[in-house]
Amino acid sequence: MSSTSVYPTPINAFKQSKRSVLSVIVDNEPGILARIVGLFSGRGYNIEALNVTVVDVKENLSRITIETLGEEKVISQIIAQLEKLVPVHSATNLANLSESYEAEICLVKIEFKNEEQDQKILNFADIYRSRTVQKRQNIVVYEISGTSERINKFLDDLDTIGGIKVELVRSGPIGLGI
Amino acid sequence: MTNENEFTGADILLKALKDQEVDTIFGYPGGAVLPIYDAIFGQNFLKHVLVRQEAGAVHAAEGYARSSGKVGVLLVTSGPGVTNVVTGLTDALMDSIPIVCISGQVPSHLIGTDAFQECDTTGITRPCTKHNYLVKDVSKLSETIHEAFKIASSGRPGPVLIDIPKDVQFAKSKYISKKDISFREHRIKAGSKTVDKNFVKELVNHIKKSERPIFYVGGGCLNSGHQASQELIKLVNKTNIPITTTLHGLGCFPGEDKSSLGMLGMHGNYEANLAMNKCDLMINVGARFDDRVTGRLDAFSPDSIKFHIDIDQSSINKNVKVNFHTNTDITLTLKEINSFIDSNNIDFDDKDYDNWWGQINEWRKKECLHYEQGDEVIKPQHAISRLYELTKQKDTFVTTEVGQHQMWAAQYYKFSKPNRWITSGGLGTMGFGMPAAVGAQMANPDSLVIDIAGEASFLMNIQEIATAVQYKLPIKIFILNNEYMGMVRQWQELLHGSRYSESYVDALPDFKKLAESFNAVGVRAKNIAELDDTINEMVSIDRPVIADIWVDKKENCFPMIPSGAAHHEMLLSKYDKENPENQEKGKVLV
Repeated sequence: MSSTSVYPTPINAFKQSKRSVLSVIVDNEPGILARIVGLFSGRGYNIEALNVTVVDVKENLSRITIETLGEEKVISQIIAQLEKLVPVHSATNLANLSESYEAEICLVKIEFKNEEQDQKILNFADIYRSRTVQKRQNIVVYEISGTSERINKFLDDLDTIGGIKVELVRSGPIGLGI
Repeated sequence: MTNENEFTGADILLKALKDQEVDTIFGYPGGAVLPIYDAIFGQNFLKHVLVRQEAGAVHAAEGYARSSGKVGVLLVTSGPGVTNVVTGLTDALMDSIPIVCISGQVPSHLIGTDAFQECDTTGITRPCTKHNYLVKDVSKLSETIHEAFKIASSGRPGPVLIDIPKDVQFAKSKYISKKDISFREHRIKAGSKTVDKNFVKELVNHIKKSERPIFYVGGGCLNSGHQASQELIKLVNKTNIPITTTLHGLGCFPGEDKSSLGMLGMHGNYEANLAMNKCDLMINVGARFDDRVTGRLDAFSPDSIKFHIDIDQSSINKNVKVNFHTNTDITLTLKEINSFIDSNNIDFDDKDYDNWWGQINEWRKKECLHYEQGDEVIKPQHAISRLYELTKQKDTFVTTEVGQHQMWAAQYYKFSKPNRWITSGGLGTMGFGMPAAVGAQMANPDSLVIDIAGEASFLMNIQEIATAVQYKLPIKIFILNNEYMGMVRQWQELLHGSRYSESYVDALPDFKKLAESFNAVGVRAKNIAELDDTINEMVSIDRPVIADIWVDKKENCFPMIPSGAAHHEMLLSKYDKENPENQEKGKVLV
C-alpha cells in the first residue's frame, strides 16, 4: 500500500534506503558541527558515522564526512539542506561522482589465551595486511584500514579465529572524488 | 590611551545599524544589554519601541519587515529575554521574514557558569534561525552585523540572531563600515543571478501546448519584491491563464481580478483546488507545496507537468516531484519569460483556454464562499465582508492572529497589492497579529492597520495594546468574538464527535472596558444592526481601538479539505459529509 500520509512514515522512509557517504566542506567556526548534527536530528535523518577534521589551516576549512541511510529523494534533500547552512561551502554525495575512493581505519583490541592462538591471530592479520600496533602481555591491538566492507569482513572473520574482542574503534568512512 | 578611531561594542552596533539604514528597533531592556541601551539614549536616528514582552518585539519586527520590505530589527536581553523570542524566530524562519535579533549575553568570563540570566542562546536558537552568532571579539562585531543583515535579506530571507556578551559591548575596536566589507559568496547564498534560458523556453513551449494551465503563486513572489508582482500581472494578462495564490501569496496578484481563483488549500476556494487537481500544466512561482496546500500527496494534481521557480533549492522536489525547476530569483525569471514572449512575437490569441475557463466557471457556480446571513446574529464571514467593503478605499494593512478568523480574513478580504497582508502561516502562531500590527503601523504611520483577531489569540499578546497606546499607533483590533477557540472547536466537531474538550474560553474580559483601562478605545457590535456603524466608528477614531464583534458561536470555516483528503474531496458546507476512511486517517495528522 502506498502511503497516503502527508508525512513519510519510518517504514516507508527506510524501505528503499541505501547507504550514502556525504562529504561536506565547511568554514571551521564554533557551532558548525552542532548545526550539521542538529539538522540531521531535527529533520529525522540518520547519522551512521561522522568524521570531522580541519583540512586547510590557512583557509580555515574543515571536511566533515557523514555516512547516512535514506532513499535517493531523502539524500538529495539532505544535500540541499546542508548547502543552505551559512558556513557550508559544498556538500557532495560521493556516490554521485563518476569515481571516488573511500577508506576507514579501525583499531581492535584482542585478548588471547595462549601463545599458539596468538600466532594464529597474527597470521590471520597478515592476510588482511593489518598491523600490530601494540602488544602487552596477552593483549594485542590491530590497526586495519580500507573500505568499511573490508573492515566488516575482517571483524567477522576475526570472530572465527578465537580470542576475545575487548574493544574496538572505527573512524567512520572518509572519501574523495577522483 | 584612548584612540579616537576606536568605539565601544555598543557604539559599533549603533553605527552599523545606522549604516544599514535602520530607523526603528523593537526591544526590551535588561541587565545584559544595558550598555547598548546607554548608547541608544545618546542618539537620535534610531527610534526604539518599547514592547511589553519580548514576544511582542519579535512579532512587531516581523510585521515591520513584511509591511515595508525592509529588515525588521529587535533588541532583547539574555536568558528569558531571548527565550521569549524563540517562537517569533521560528515563525520568521517558517514564513521567510527577514529580521535581525540582537541579544545581550552574560560577560564572556561567566559564560558556562550558569550565571544569572544566562542561557545557551546560540544553542537554543540554532534550529530556529537562518544563522546565528556569538560575538566573542569586539573586532569582529562590525563585519558580523553587516553579514547578518546581508544573510537575513538574501536568497530565501529569514531571521538571524547576534548574541553579544556584555564585556564585548564595553570593549573597544575600530568600526568597519558596510561598504568596506567584502562578503564571502558561499555564506550569503543569494541564489543564481543568471536566468536559466532553457527553463524559460521549455515553460513557454509548454504553455503553448497546454489545455489546462494554472499559476500557483506563493510568498516567494512577495519576497522577490514588488516588481515580481508586476511581471506576474503582465504574464497572466498576456496568457489568460488562471492564477491561484497561497495564504502568503495573497496580494501578489489583485484578488478581484477575473483571472484570480483566490486562495487554494485546506480552506481555499473550490474552483482553485479543483483547477489544481485537474490542470495539465502547473507553474509554481515561489510556493513550497506545503501540506495545507497539497492535501493528500498521492492525489495531488495527478495529471500535470510541473514547473517550479524557487530561490530555495531545498524547496524543489521536497514534497512534490517537479518536471522543471530553476533556483533563480522570481523577478529575474518572470522578466525573462515576458521578454522571451515579446521578442519572439509569441501570442496566445489562439489559446483562450475556452474549455478550461468554461470548466472553471462551472466550479465557480458552486459559490463556495456563500453563507446565509440572518437578521440578528452576525456571521463572522459577513463581518469580514463588511470590513472589506468599508475599508477598501483606504490604504489598508491587515494582520491576523491564527484560527478561523484568519481563514475568513483570507477568504473574504481581498488584497490588490503585495505586503498588505501579514499573517502567521507556517508556524501558525496565535498572538502574532496584535504585535505585528504595531510593527506594520510603525513602518506605515499614515495607513490604516487592522488586526483581524479571535478573542483567544488576542489574549495571548494583549499586553502590546499598551505599546500601541504609548506610541500613539492607531491600530484597530477587530475581534470576531465567538467565545471559543474556533478552529479547535471545529476540528473537535468534525473529527472528535463534538466533544469540545477545553476549547470554550470561559471568563473572558469585557473587551470594551479592557480597552478603556489601557487608555485605548473600545467599541462593540452585538448584532447585525450595529455592525456597519461599529466598523465605521472604529475606522474613524485616530487612536488604538478594540472592536468586540459578537459573532455566531457555532459557525465553521468552509470550504475545507479535511486532513488526509485530496483537492477534489472538499467539504463545502456542514451538509457535506467526509469520507469516513479519510476521517480516521486525517485524525492523526495536523
